[in-house]
Amino acid sequence: MKKKLLAVASAVAIALPVANAAAAAKKKIVTVTKKITGPQAIADRWGYVEVTLTVKKTTTTIGKHKTVARKITSIDVPVYPNHTDRSIFINDQALPWLKQEVLQAQFNPNIDMVGGATATSSAFTQSLQAALIAAKKV
Amino acid sequence: MHRVEHVMGMPIVVEVRGGDVPDDVFDWFRHVDETFSTYKEASEVSRIRRGELALACASEEVRRVYGRCDELREATSGFFDVEAVGLDPSGYVKGWAVDEAAAMLDRAGTAEYAINAGGDIRSRGRWRIGIQHPLEPKAVARVVEGTDLAVATSGAYARGEHVRDPYSGYAPAGILSVTITGSELGTADAYATAAFAMGGHRAPNWTARLRGYEALTILADGRVLTTPRFPSA
Repeated sequence: MKKKLLAVASAVAIALPVANAAAAAKKKIVTVTKKITGPQAIADRWGYVEVTLTVKKTTTTIGKHKTVARKITSIDVPVYPNHTDRSIFINDQALPWLKQEVLQAQFNPNIDMVGGATATSSAFTQSLQAALIAAKKV
Repeated sequence: MHRVEHVMGMPIVVEVRGGDVPDDVFDWFRHVDETFSTYKEASEVSRIRRGELALACASEEVRRVYGRCDELREATSGFFDVEAVGLDPSGYVKGWAVDEAAAMLDRAGTAEYAINAGGDIRSRGRWRIGIQHPLEPKAVARVVEGTDLAVATSGAYARGEHVRDPYSGYAPAGILSVTITGSELGTADAYATAAFAMGGHRAPNWTARLRGYEALTILADGRVLTTPRFPSA
């Protein structure tokens, strides 16, 4: 396995200078970072949840060929129920976990929508879904 | 344009390509919730379930929904059975409500849209829909691509094991999820629920005999089975 990896690495090393020479003049990379805030969603009788995503959009242009990549770099929950001891406790536990989930999920540029057995019906998901759809259009 | 609202106990996303989402779509979902919710004591369905309202005296739409549930029990050899769950028609209502919303958008002249009600989708126009993997929520098990499709999935993964075999009373064995595609979401959802309840042994053969509906079944050992015309991208 190690040998194989080495072989690939050296092939890349040989190919690189040629590719660089051809692309050097025409390659252009533009990066835009935007914050997108989902709507405030009602978490039953506990209050509101609002999700904000920071999306980095990288547009790479090589000649006439343009590729766009979007990455969620951070997720914030500026509004969440925190007016009772219990909701503060629950949110301290749940929010870091939910944030991690989203950062892992990211985007799949080849898919318009995701289906599956009934998704979590939380206010977090609701605000997040709206923010994700908007983020796709950055 | 898209809108997301939390109705009927789940997030419902309506996305319209190149146009607005009409207000009356969500008014409709709220009406369905008021009428069919098993969590609202005053809903017609709750009154029927408590025996306070005879089905014959219920509104026309409620009678129509229970009537269709009866047909679906026949069509699924009893594996989709609202009587087995105390006259709870929720397994059909969600998909049916989306089908009716789709008809509203069609009447409004909306050319391309997709409605996602808690993971079950009805679309008009060409869409690529990822099916969440039952064991890895971040992974997509298969991408479905088609025009004017309903895509419903039943599985054990999102809300714990909530589908049971109405004959044995146990959670189905050997199966992780069933995804059904076809024209109507209500029917697709009932077929998915029934096939999932049949378990890994019966579901693949049963789904292979469906007319106008295709299936993707994920078995507990990780095997993924599809019917010949399943619209994989």
